[in-house]
Amino acid sequence: MCSACGFPAAPGHWTEAGAATPHDRLRERFRRMQVLQKVLKGSGVSVHDGGMVPGIQVMSASGAQTIVPDLEAVWGEVEKLRGHVIDPFEL
Amino acid sequence: MSAPFDGRIRLTIVGGFLGSGKTTWMRHQLHEKTFGHVHVIVNEAADAPVDDALLQAADQMTLLAGACVCCAGQEALQTVLLTLCDARSGAADRASRLENIVLETSGLADPAAIASLIQSHPILVRQIVVTETIVIVDALNAQEQMQSETLCRKQIESADRLIVTKTDVTHPGHLGQLCATLTQIAPGAAQSAASFGSAMILPDVPPCVDPFPLLPLDDQDDVPIHAVPLDLGPTPDWTAFTVWLSALLYARGDQIVRVKGVIATPAGRLLLQTVRRSVQSPEILPDPDTPCATDNVVAVIGRGFSHDQLTASLAHFSA
Repeated sequence: MCSACGFPAAPGHWTEAGAATPHDRLRERFRRMQVLQKVLKGSGVSVHDGGMVPGIQVMSASGAQTIVPDLEAVWGEVEKLRGHVIDPFEL
Repeated sequence: MSAPFDGRIRLTIVGGFLGSGKTTWMRHQLHEKTFGHVHVIVNEAADAPVDDALLQAADQMTLLAGACVCCAGQEALQTVLLTLCDARSGAADRASRLENIVLETSGLADPAAIASLIQSHPILVRQIVVTETIVIVDALNAQEQMQSETLCRKQIESADRLIVTKTDVTHPGHLGQLCATLTQIAPGAAQSAASFGSAMILPDVPPCVDPFPLLPLDDQDDVPIHAVPLDLGPTPDWTAFTVWLSALLYARGDQIVRVKGVIATPAGRLLLQTVRRSVQSPEILPDPDTPCATDNVVAVIGRGFSHDQLTASLAHFSA
């Protein structure tokens, strides 16, 4: 890859590119949880991120839980726990 | 490349399906000055263009946004080409005469239609010669695109040269089958490979490798792909937007063919680009001297959704 002809890429997962300082990153994590919890309300699946350790905890109503590395992986896990996908057009 | 060709301006058409890597390839060629002194014409079907910001290395550039130049935007392209021809005729000396134009088409354009537009125009045909049609092929997504999109096959058929991109992240066996398929569709086209614009080596394909099965496609069955501009407002909520977009791509990545736009965040102006379900690490663009009107407007390109659907579902996440 040529490093001279492009612009620098934001480090980390693409969903986390909106924050550059530790303070902003933490605030973004909490905001992400707020949005996710609202969207997943009533779906039988909940999420948790305390901000201390990396990853997002995804839990089903029956107690099954797992930690996924990033937001993108949350949707695959939610589908696995619920049996079908969350479709933003149908919320 | 820089030598005049029978006195006419040499035009290279760079085409390829949505998200195949045309701009990435072009950006590297401009950096390497492969085309020499060149006027670049960039066409984007979306109203909120971003490719022009990436091709600042071009000596001169014209942007045609909002319509595809092989169909709805034909007239705009003719006007630009005629203006360039006029400027060339009036150039004071040979050194300042324009000799090369590179046209980067939108991902929805049929390069053959553009070539025939020039051939059939009474003035352009005497001023411009199409020297090469280069078509960029996305190694990761080409199989699905060739199997489902008539346009993708038309683009490959029209190529003099095929450049396969993203080969560094594609399985060699898959790449071999892809090359065999490309040979089947466009037997006369030279094949090469590139990663982020830099040349790569394509594997030798033994004759026993079978191409991907391709069924006949009917133009009439195609629901047209459209570009919907999504305005995120003056202060976008990056977090809510990414929660929404990641969910949307997971659920409907087969319909959302491409998303691109520049979004202002506390971490800078981020250029976001997706192709189907894969999302590129956002590039951090420099701050412009004056605010850019197209910032925070994201083009969502695909089929099976409306502007109202997109805004309503995003609002549900942002509220």
